Amino acid sequence: MSLSRSPSPHPGGGWSSPGLTPGSGASTPGGHSQATLAPNGISWAAAKAKSDEVRKYPSFSTRNSGFFSRQKRKISARLPSFRGQASRQGYVDKDVYGRGQLHAGGPGGCGPLATLKMGETWKTNEGYVTAIVQLYRRSPLGGGPKFVIILGSNVEGGVMEWKGAREWAIERNSIWNKQQYVKRWGYQLEIANMLAQKRYSHEWRESWEKGDVIREVMRKYPHAEWFWWLDLNTWIMEYGTSLQSHLFNDLDSHVYRDINEYNPLNMTHPLPEFFLDDLGRALEGDGNPDSLSLLLSQDCSGFNLGSFFLRRSIWTERLIDAWWDPVMYEQMHMQWEHKEQDALEYIYQSQAWVRSGVGFLPQRKINAFPPGACGDGNDPAVHYQEEDHDFVVNMAGCNFGRDCWAEIYNYRAISSKHNRSKWEWISDRLGSAREWAFGKKD
Amino acid sequence: MQFALPPRRSLHTLPGANSSRLPLYRRKQLKTIAIFAFAVLTLLYLLSRLFSSSSTSLSPPAGTAGMVIVTLLDRQSLSESYINKIVTNREDYAKRHGYTNFFASVSDYEEAIGDAPRSWALIPAMRHAMATYPKSKYFFHLSPHALVMNPTTSLKSHLLDRSRLESLMLKNVPIVPPDSIIKTFALKQKDVDLILTQDGEDLSPSSFILKNGDFARFFLDLWFEPLFRSYRFAKAETHGLDHIMQWHPTVLARTALVPQRILNAYSKDSSGASQDGSYKDGDFVIRFPSCDEGKARDCDELDPYYSMWSKKAKST
Repeated sequence: MSLSRSPSPHPGGGWSSPGLTPGSGASTPGGHSQATLAPNGISWAAAKAKSDEVRKYPSFSTRNSGFFSRQKRKISARLPSFRGQASRQGYVDKDVYGRGQLHAGGPGGCGPLATLKMGETWKTNEGYVTAIVQLYRRSPLGGGPKFVIILGSNVEGGVMEWKGAREWAIERNSIWNKQQYVKRWGYQLEIANMLAQKRYSHEWRESWEKGDVIREVMRKYPHAEWFWWLDLNTWIMEYGTSLQSHLFNDLDSHVYRDINEYNPLNMTHPLPEFFLDDLGRALEGDGNPDSLSLLLSQDCSGFNLGSFFLRRSIWTERLIDAWWDPVMYEQMHMQWEHKEQDALEYIYQSQAWVRSGVGFLPQRKINAFPPGACGDGNDPAVHYQEEDHDFVVNMAGCNFGRDCWAEIYNYRAISSKHNRSKWEWISDRLGSAREWAFGKKD
Repeated sequence: MQFALPPRRSLHTLPGANSSRLPLYRRKQLKTIAIFAFAVLTLLYLLSRLFSSSSTSLSPPAGTAGMVIVTLLDRQSLSESYINKIVTNREDYAKRHGYTNFFASVSDYEEAIGDAPRSWALIPAMRHAMATYPKSKYFFHLSPHALVMNPTTSLKSHLLDRSRLESLMLKNVPIVPPDSIIKTFALKQKDVDLILTQDGEDLSPSSFILKNGDFARFFLDLWFEPLFRSYRFAKAETHGLDHIMQWHPTVLARTALVPQRILNAYSKDSSGASQDGSYKDGDFVIRFPSCDEGKARDCDELDPYYSMWSKKAKST
């Protein structure tokens, strides 16, 4: 079948991404197959409808009501569709893992039906316990409501308000990943719509939305204390690790406040001005972890705001207020390529009051990079180490010459392996034992 | 078989059943213990409050002034005799009320200011005063072209008392005159960290009171931002202050605006005063804005007022 217009970046039509091509749910990044009209084929309209469901997540309403937003239905109605027998829902979501059916006797199954029944009973009981535990974690007593994850997303679309299949897949997967994590620990998730960026007009500050979004979220969750910003191209690898155990129960031991420990921008610290007070010239601030309100990591080129924490405090209000200023913006917006990130680096350098509230975390603590970001090697200070079960991976800069979907797909698989339940682990072991004993089933 | 009424409780206590009532003497004993325990706990609580408040409050310990008067002197452009007059005026006032003077020199901050106008030096001077007297609660910046004309008036009774400040505060007025769309808040005294006045055109940084603490550090660092200094505001730090107040609500939310004559009355010959902003006899401070602009090393306009102040100071 030849298409007059391809609905995806792949010239031959069809889904050009691993995990999006029908029948390629388990494929690895790299190869891709042509779209075929299999019985389980994916219809374009159904896929589009499924993608539109993303809009049901809580988000900040877009300021953009451009031509494409208004004409979307008319345009998509004219697009070619893949004819084929649709699934019950009209769409087979191959790109989200963990939704496959467990077939008795299948390669991942464990053979005898009795074992399966026993496993199901175990899973049911485990489900009750999990529900009670999650209920406790969601309560103020469990500490869950103290944490909000803010996911910087782009619900509507990309350039000209249109996104390719890969972008939709990345977004859905990333949102799903954060939902799984917050569900487990009773945290809150806020999906912030980062669409409204009038990139080339100066009456709107160019993608300087982090501060505004965080302020809004703080207003929306008045009882939350810590707000964790995550970019869309991040993946929480370890669902079993809570923020409390990972960081906040013993914040002091994880944080360094003296930027000289790792100082890629070669900032002068402490500030040398004689007229500053002791706090303004202190290497380690006041030494009290309770005064920390911003936790972030540095990569090879300076501050990285792909994953950072802000505490609700007067200090934070002031930081968000000072972060964007028209006089500063007017003079520097051409030099500040990374916008808020560069502005934050700048005010950290120039305004002494900022330093006392900032704590730095080793990069792999909250922001491990894949190879290709900050060098192609495997730097143990920077790059994700599977054997150490690093907490978060940030596919930083993957849209500049790397393949975001392939990277997310890869880390999703690793994460899936790390986060198997006891039952899945036993099931996998039995499956591999069966394969070893009887050979692999074709 | 059912009975219309419940059976009567037996008058005889069953063997082994204890009486629910405690003997009278035991109850009295427990009551005494409870009252004693309550008294001890109350005493401990009061003592802990007393000690914790003394250690955490901003009020200065013995031997430290609660108010520091900051005067920035440009020794290159002012004559020695003029500087002596200003210093004498400040020292007399500080001595009367137990305040401390901090005399800063513009030349000390030249490196920090860089190419910006020298008037920006007032900000690092304030920061320096706060670093020198970290336990003092208030810092009063007063222009070198101003005199304290009413030496018997303490800043506490004149301005800082709760009822006094709340009654003087200008509420819901344009922060930058005459018609800024950003207006002042109605604040409680405990929420005020910065007390300012306006003249006819701008906010006036020549005379203001700043409360020591995190806000003061934040405000001064933001105001002294290098990009503000390099922006070439027409009136340097004055327009920098106007800008901050209009764009940064976290600063405005801690700022009280008071009538000009309370803290910053202009001499009669000055053109830039606000309505009812010119000096009248009995006002706390007089300022000579024309001396800021003039190149003369002696501000002649000050002399008659200095003589008036000298007489008043000697007679009280």
